[in-house]
Amino acid sequence: MFETDTGGAQIQLRALTKQFPGQAEPAVDSVDLDIPAGELVAFVGPSGCGKTTTMKMINRLVEPTSGEIRIGGEDVLALPPDELRRHIGYVIQQIGLFPHLTIGENVGLVPKLLGWDRPKAEARTEDLLALVNLEPGEYRDRYPRQLSGGQQQRVGVARALAADPPVMLMDEPFGATDPITREHLQNEFLKLQKDLRKTIIFVTHDFEEAIKLGDRIAVLRNQSHIAQYDTPANILANPADDYVASFIGADATLKRLALMTVDEVPTEGPPDPALPQVETGTSLREALDLMVANGTDRCSSPAGVLSYTALCASIGREEVAAGDR
Amino acid sequence: MSLSEYVASRWDTLSLAAAEHALVVAIAIGIATLAGVGIGLVTHRVPRASNASLAVSAGILTIPSLALLTLLIPITGLGWTSTLVALTAYALLPIIRNTVVGLRGVDRATVEAGRGMGMSRVRVLMKVQLPLAWPLILTGIRVSTQMLIGIAAIAAFVDGPGLGTQIFEGLSRLGSVNSLNATLAGTFGIVIVALLFDLFFSVVRHLTTPRGLRVRN
Amino acid sequence: MTAETLRAAAAQPTNLRYGKGLRKLITPVAIAIVLAALYVWVGTLQLDSIEQRSLNSAVIIQKAIEHLRLTVVATALVVVIAIPLGVVASRAKNRLITPFILGTANLGQAVPAIGLLVLCTFVMGVGFQTALVGLVAYAVLPVLRNTMVGVQQVDPALIEAARGMGMTKGQVLRRVELKLAVPAILAGLRTSLVLTVGMATMGAFVAAGGFGELIINGLKLQRMPVTIVGGVLTASIAFLVDWLGGLAEDLLKPRGM
Repeated sequence: MFETDTGGAQIQLRALTKQFPGQAEPAVDSVDLDIPAGELVAFVGPSGCGKTTTMKMINRLVEPTSGEIRIGGEDVLALPPDELRRHIGYVIQQIGLFPHLTIGENVGLVPKLLGWDRPKAEARTEDLLALVNLEPGEYRDRYPRQLSGGQQQRVGVARALAADPPVMLMDEPFGATDPITREHLQNEFLKLQKDLRKTIIFVTHDFEEAIKLGDRIAVLRNQSHIAQYDTPANILANPADDYVASFIGADATLKRLALMTVDEVPTEGPPDPALPQVETGTSLREALDLMVANGTDRCSSPAGVLSYTALCASIGREEVAAGDR
Repeated sequence: MSLSEYVASRWDTLSLAAAEHALVVAIAIGIATLAGVGIGLVTHRVPRASNASLAVSAGILTIPSLALLTLLIPITGLGWTSTLVALTAYALLPIIRNTVVGLRGVDRATVEAGRGMGMSRVRVLMKVQLPLAWPLILTGIRVSTQMLIGIAAIAAFVDGPGLGTQIFEGLSRLGSVNSLNATLAGTFGIVIVALLFDLFFSVVRHLTTPRGLRVRN
Repeated sequence: MTAETLRAAAAQPTNLRYGKGLRKLITPVAIAIVLAALYVWVGTLQLDSIEQRSLNSAVIIQKAIEHLRLTVVATALVVVIAIPLGVVASRAKNRLITPFILGTANLGQAVPAIGLLVLCTFVMGVGFQTALVGLVAYAVLPVLRNTMVGVQQVDPALIEAARGMGMTKGQVLRRVELKLAVPAILAGLRTSLVLTVGMATMGAFVAAGGFGELIINGLKLQRMPVTIVGGVLTASIAFLVDWLGGLAEDLLKPRGM
């Protein structure tokens, strides 16, 4: 199945529609979307907008009423659903680890369903636990209830990766964790995805999370209509309409600055040890924060001096000269 | 003789037996409620004590009714007293358990709010916890009642009161004309008594559940 | 005898636990002490010929076998009948019958066991089989209800996770739903076991033997020692069966829960 390599496969949705019986309007109305191989696309929208339903049609937990789904060119609706799901990673907010199975058994379930032999499945389980930063020797034989929420969520991710699926579906996977754990899990996950390059659909109602994790964001309105589908930077710079803008909130520019690093801005002259210092890889938002905090309009990175003017120019804004105000 | 003719011809006996059946259950439930809710109130904050009372009442419930009733004969003799003692003992577990669970289940914040506005511990217990736990306690009482109505049938074997006498009459005259009628009248009479009690509890539940709790349902 | 309510609630999540660890040994030790005391007490009595006919080891062993046979066979039948029915009743398409089963289970409790047994006699005559039918009819409901409720109570997120990873419906049932319902099913089984062992005492009314026979004969013949021995033995066997049921529960419960 999906005879592409496991590094990711393109997903194509064509006129995808779901009409639940007894409802006047379709829950998902004729969605067309191309998700490039190896990218993480975040579905963002208010609750009830059909984003989860759209996602669940891809692994056919919800059967589409009409339309087409292709993964790596293959027609998903022509495949046996159970077999299909074994090749699509699935992570849900409630995690859904089986409490009667050990961590190792939970992770090894899909390989077992696929008929892998024992040594191969066990080796895979160990690798995956290590991949999500859980020491296999320590955690393999524990039960889910003996783990913290964050640890359980990591096991959930490991379990979804077990059969090395080209596609992963994630439904608010970090939604139930506290802010600190969530940030931690997001960072770990970003690092993981950098290596794995899976094709991922990530449902969330948290726009910040979408900006942080998504290669692209699909902002959805009712019935899963796509309001805008673009990279985070483009959506922040040019929201398609008021609806999208309302999602971004009042601090769109600050959010854009958070997406860029000091290395992307041209510097003037050599580093100046007298100015506040930022390191390589620091976001422009942090750099701005540092300037405001120190009451200066410049700071220094290892590459040179970074000015407020350059910072504004980097996001396409001219600094308004003092005399024109 | 058909069942209806049988019931009509012995209406006095049957209705008296039904009334006695209901009465013995009602008395036993009354005593068990006082005792069970009391034990629950006293022990619910001390897990050791409440667990011990639960273990003892669970143990009582494990003893087969025929055995308990006959073992009481040397102590309390045949008839009403033995029946009442056995029934009361059987009724305790559901009532104690639901009282303890109910009192413990009251939201900690609610209790703290009561304490915080200067209510004494006893006042919080009686004015806040007990009313909130009451629906659950009432369920326990209801469950006990249904159980006792069934058990009370066996009491007839130790000369106790109630509709069980009809069943044992049917059994002792197996094959005679009215034996089936007697058994049916006894068995269904007991089911009817049970249904009437259940109806009664539905009404009580409606009338005694604090209004604010009903609204949520 | 109707411990049903007790175990039914044990299936609900409460943090109330009656006894663990060393306390597990209290029941068998207490039974042994009571039986020893009974033995000593009977030894001090001057038994007449009628009492001797009932109170000898051959009779008591025979009654014990009859009592246990009735209990074990009835429980086995209950398992075979109630668990599959409970699973069928739990399926989504059968949800409509759920309230019917719950209602019958509650009302069934009010049907007096003795009435049910005697009514069975009118259909089948007296004997082992009659008692068996009565017992099974009575004990099926708690297991049926607990199986149904136990399967229905499984967290929908777990079922979604299972379906999402590609388990077939059968695999979800076997590997997830049934496994997670085991504690509730076992609790129901233990209830029905205690119910059965108690009701087996009444088997004596329909000539199915068991310890109840000692109780009944003692009362009929006005020989209190016989009745008391019967009563104590009946209570002991009930506690023993309940204790074994508890051990089985601990042993069979899936780990991690």
